[in-house]
Amino acid sequence: MRVIDRYAFGNALRQIDPAQKGALALLAIILCLALDRPAVGALALIWMLALTTWWARIPLRVSGRVLLTEGLFLGLSIIGIALSIGGKTPETTVVAWQIGALWISMTPESLALVTLVLTRSLGCAAALNFLILTTPLVDLIDLMRRIRLPEGLIDIMALTYRAIFVLLDCLERMTTAQDARLGYATARAAMRSAALLASQLFLTAYRRSQRAQIALESRGFDGTLRVLPLTYQRSPRVWQASIALTASLLLAGIVR
Amino acid sequence: MSAVLEFDNLHYTFPGSDTPALRGASLRIEAGRRIALLGRNGAGKSTLFLHGNGILRPAAGQVRLNRRPLEYTRRGLLHVRRQVGLIFQNPDDQLFSASVRQDISFGPLNLGLSVDETRRRVAEAADLCGVSDLLDRPTHALSGGQKTRVALAGVLAMRPDILLVDEATSGLDPWMRQQVFDIFDRLVERGATVALATHDLDAAQYWADTVAVMDEGRVIAVAPSAQIFADPELRALLGPVEARGERREVRGER
Repeated sequence: MRVIDRYAFGNALRQIDPAQKGALALLAIILCLALDRPAVGALALIWMLALTTWWARIPLRVSGRVLLTEGLFLGLSIIGIALSIGGKTPETTVVAWQIGALWISMTPESLALVTLVLTRSLGCAAALNFLILTTPLVDLIDLMRRIRLPEGLIDIMALTYRAIFVLLDCLERMTTAQDARLGYATARAAMRSAALLASQLFLTAYRRSQRAQIALESRGFDGTLRVLPLTYQRSPRVWQASIALTASLLLAGIVR
Repeated sequence: MSAVLEFDNLHYTFPGSDTPALRGASLRIEAGRRIALLGRNGAGKSTLFLHGNGILRPAAGQVRLNRRPLEYTRRGLLHVRRQVGLIFQNPDDQLFSASVRQDISFGPLNLGLSVDETRRRVAEAADLCGVSDLLDRPTHALSGGQKTRVALAGVLAMRPDILLVDEATSGLDPWMRQQVFDIFDRLVERGATVALATHDLDAAQYWADTVAVMDEGRVIAVAPSAQIFADPELRALLGPVEARGERREVRGER
């Protein structure tokens, strides 16, 4: 969370209009889903990682780690698609194991499906990662305000995002205080400390919200969080990148 | 713009509490003053300040701004909050936006100012508080002293005539504290009043021109600081002031 946030605020594309970056990511996702071929997904993955690395100048180590985390969840869920379990001896298989009366097998069809799901998902994930690694939530919230999503929703997002960091700091201080009094010395103590921490953190969050409400009212809060719109640069290079991306993905999607 | 804020015989008990927080507190805050409000923990300093801009409504007594009683309506409250700014001890309670620029712009926009005027106010307040280079940084990446100054800018962008500061200087290192006092001094030079609730006796003695002392929900003394610190009874209530040895100049060179 903090790593993503740090790069989001300090990358080479920070000043670019979030609408442009969002459009680019959305375009890649739509093309990935519409063209629906492994080659398209793989190409989109390469494109978005390349843009994140060379254009936004975010180390591949960082974007790779984010992608790997997502890939891990994906990997767990595609096991179910790849393998089929049955009582009969499977006919066409790539690999098959017999455990007692059961057969665990992988067919060419399931393997093709897995490749498709994997490339498509990773391509989309890389596009989304490009957006979240280059655009801090502050800018995304500003973008949502611009496209006129309901204000209540946006205010809640904005407050939650800020509260996460305040509570994270608070959590760290409380854990350190517990640790200093051997709160995590044994597994038993750790369980107890964690439970206490959770209830204490809830109380802290509640009290904080009351103080925050008072502070907001002091500055004339009347139910809407009015703030200045942020200013950005429009870059023609985003449109150029979008055209190049569309052309190459279409090519990969149509040419046999 | 010589604003006057008067607390007249205020009584207040927090909901769910048995002991009243204020029992007949009175204080007059005039324009162009440096006021320190002293008193032990639980004396009622914060509660008094919360009455100053209409966050709390007294059970008995009256708060007057420029001789007119506070109106607890939407318009009345907006009016008083434009003129009376309130700064809290923990800047994290006040900074609600992850964008420094957007947080400072919140107050002026609530006053109904235009976007252009708000941009000017944000730049002005940021300059006054020395946070111009932080405007595009995320709030959560700031240090404690930076957060305090951004919180201050967020209130000053509303151009209040009276600033009530609730212990915002505690927890700052001496250098950073000096920066904050310099901001207060600049405000006072412009004709505003700064009232600071504090436990910092050095600040009360050397920065403030008037010291008010609270105890058990009442203001028990208001006088020039030298007079307060010469009174052995008040001194005993406030704690040892000279035990630290050498006195330091809080206000710095001028």
